[in-house]
Amino acid sequence: MVPGMTANRGFEPVFCTIVPPHVLDRLAQAEDPVVHGPARRTLRRDAYERTQRRLTTVVGAPAVAAPAEAEPGKPRRTVYDARHRTALPGTKVRGEGDAPGRDATVNRAYAGLGATFELFLKAYSRDSIDGHGLPMDATVHYDEDYNNAFWNGEQMVFGDGDGEIFLDFTIPVDVIGHELAHGVTQYTANLDYFGQSGALNESVSDVFGALIKQYTLGQTAEEADWLIGAGLLAPRVTGKALRSMKEPGTAYDDDVLGKDPQPATMDDYVRTGRDNGGVHINSGIPNHAFYLAATTLGGHAWERAGQVWYDVLTGGELGQDAQFTDFATLTVEAARARFGEGEELRAVTKAWERVGVRTL
Amino acid sequence: MRIQVRRTGGFAGIERQAEVDTSGRADASEWHALAERAVAAGRGTPPVGVPDGFSYRITVDGRTVYCADPRLTDEQRKLISRVLKEGA
Repeated sequence: MVPGMTANRGFEPVFCTIVPPHVLDRLAQAEDPVVHGPARRTLRRDAYERTQRRLTTVVGAPAVAAPAEAEPGKPRRTVYDARHRTALPGTKVRGEGDAPGRDATVNRAYAGLGATFELFLKAYSRDSIDGHGLPMDATVHYDEDYNNAFWNGEQMVFGDGDGEIFLDFTIPVDVIGHELAHGVTQYTANLDYFGQSGALNESVSDVFGALIKQYTLGQTAEEADWLIGAGLLAPRVTGKALRSMKEPGTAYDDDVLGKDPQPATMDDYVRTGRDNGGVHINSGIPNHAFYLAATTLGGHAWERAGQVWYDVLTGGELGQDAQFTDFATLTVEAARARFGEGEELRAVTKAWERVGVRTL
Repeated sequence: MRIQVRRTGGFAGIERQAEVDTSGRADASEWHALAERAVAAGRGTPPVGVPDGFSYRITVDGRTVYCADPRLTDEQRKLISRVLKEGA
């Protein structure tokens, strides 16, 4: 693949989804300006946005000047409301510094963005998603009964859940952290969202999502539940969360949802073409390795295990198509580089051994 | 007309699929028009999509196309949501 491109290379701005590109092409050729005017404007805007996006991903940091009121080390959060439709970002409902409103979903998203910003700044001296104060945008109330949350390459998007299986996706702070961490990965190692590199991309989001929750609650590795998405499942679902870093494969076992398919070790690695090659399945293996390293070391997981993982993600050595072994090897090197020949190195090495991932 | 939808990926990584057979349905022509427009805007191979976004496979009478959130046409979104809701 082309160096510097993001995993979201297929992404184009959302206004393109309203009218398919081939229809726009045809409309743009029409003689009637009422017909061709808007189509041509949209195509021009499409091309512009695409070029901007390519530049952003190739050059790295966006070349956008910070507004005059922006202060380094302060978040710039904006929460939008899609009002149950799918146009992004939707209507602005809360900006940085605005008082809380009546919508708990908006307030949770705003607070979750703040918690994520705080962890990356305080623990790793990282100023926002891109390290250069990137504004943090989130859209809530996306679509109707929408059972998902995602990162679209530029912002977070949260559904309300259908109330039958899933509740509001802004409820667990680790889900908010997970989506933002996809942004951090995009601006750093930019792991391809397929196969093992995709499972690493997912795992990195789970790791930092979990760390954001632990940091917010002031928990040590022993006190933490190591669950992803606790509080997200509707009451009728048999399960405690969507994933467990402590015991992958045990988060839920339900009539409708089925059983949590995550493996904890390479012995149970799942080969599949679905879910981008099982990115949400095999992430259980690196997730469990992080859990093992963090609990062996004890204390606040973001301080040592989290630091090692962060060093690998941002160190520039991790390839976009990295496999588990590549990532594991780099964590061992990072542990040595930062902490020397001590318990950190031993804990990290042993953790990968226990999940069956080779380090070189 | 047999319309099948399979959804994979998403934050939860949980797969869902459903099928609607329109034969004998009073609203069959409405389904056919919707399905044809949804398939016409689909792709022959799965798009990469965005992190945690849903990926969809739509099969209409043996013809299969792919699409992914958030880049769906209105017809694709409507068809997918109706099949997953009303289908078996």
